[in-house]
Amino acid sequence: MSADISDLSLVRRVQRGDKGAFDALVLKYQHKLVKLVMRYVRNPAEAEDIAQEAFIKAYRALPQFRGDSAFYTWLYRIAINTAKNAVVSRDRSPIEYDLDRNNTDESYDMQGRMKDSETPEGLVLTDEIRSTVNAAIDALPEDLRTAIVLRELEGLSYEEIAATMDCPVGTVRSRIFRAREAIDRRLREVFEGGLGRVEELG
Amino acid sequence: MNEELDSQLSAMFDNELPAAECELLARRLSRDEQLKARWGRYAVIGATIRAEGGVRLNAPLASRVSAAIASEPALAAEAAPQPRKRIENRWWQPVASAAAVAGVAAGAILWMRTQSSDLTPAVAQTTPVVPAMAALGNIPVSTVAQVNTGEPETYVVPRLPTHRRLVVPSTELANYVVAHSEFSSPVARRNLLSSFMATESGTAGASGGSEEITEDVQDDAKTPQ
Repeated sequence: MSADISDLSLVRRVQRGDKGAFDALVLKYQHKLVKLVMRYVRNPAEAEDIAQEAFIKAYRALPQFRGDSAFYTWLYRIAINTAKNAVVSRDRSPIEYDLDRNNTDESYDMQGRMKDSETPEGLVLTDEIRSTVNAAIDALPEDLRTAIVLRELEGLSYEEIAATMDCPVGTVRSRIFRAREAIDRRLREVFEGGLGRVEELG
Repeated sequence: MNEELDSQLSAMFDNELPAAECELLARRLSRDEQLKARWGRYAVIGATIRAEGGVRLNAPLASRVSAAIASEPALAAEAAPQPRKRIENRWWQPVASAAAVAGVAAGAILWMRTQSSDLTPAVAQTTPVVPAMAALGNIPVSTVAQVNTGEPETYVVPRLPTHRRLVVPSTELANYVVAHSEFSSPVARRNLLSSFMATESGTAGASGGSEEITEDVQDDAKTPQ
């Protein structure tokens, strides 16, 4: 099976004018892309801005994507170039100091520049999501936990997991699905009940 | 939600779903917000397992990108006008081609007429001129008489003679140049004499001036213009 088959089917839909299919690609790769960009910039909020710019550039360049390489390889290349350019332009721009500003203005400005991710609420929710997912993984039966960890942490294909766990590929698919369902049940509660920010998922 | 559908979604997320099923599910995924939210949570689970520190798991990045993309033109809509543009631009191409060909042809005819009028001013005249042309001795009457058969008026455009005749016989001119050699430079004298020699050798190859022109006219008469 092609390693990129589902991405490619989504990409083809976007190329035919279906913007909703691009949402699915963004949802799938946003965390990986932000993590990648954070190798160049330390600030998570800035990394998110760069990742957003990279996604928009990728969308505009998608008519030229022929599928010769995997979509995520192509997307990562765009993100790396965008991050490098952002670092260069940031280094060139002078740092502005406003000495006349009083303490009140300064504190207000700091608050205004603070992104959602840096707000206590955002940080609490991220921590809550992490702890919920980790607790759910710990509660999984061993065969389900092994299957999902081999898939997500090691990046093994279903066939490789089947060889490792000495079971059919169909069983691997079922185990991974059941593991996700079990984790998702608890995660959904966090998103729907937790801080009322379900619409900001993703 | 359908368990089979969720199972397919999980396999699709891992790029492990057969292509035919992928096509169908991709279509549904792009439209079904509930399915898309589940897909997004699968990504959050993966990010947590990989312990992607520093990455905000509830970041509104996807909704920001989606809002930005909403203001962009759809890709298929961008690509669509191109073939239409080609069709719109295509109608004048045959007209332009025909105009270019007609222009070249008209230019060629005008040029040929100008060239031939330099040689014989009465070249495009009709039947009444024929005896006069025959009287010149350059064109046999039999050839020109083909035109004078009571048929509609036609034009006969004779070709240029291959070699222009010298007004002064070359031998006399050569003698003149040699006799006045003391007044001319050696280079100019040599050039003039060599050109005489070339002319003489060219005309020596041909059987005669009048016959040569006759052949040309006969060739033209074969293809009425």
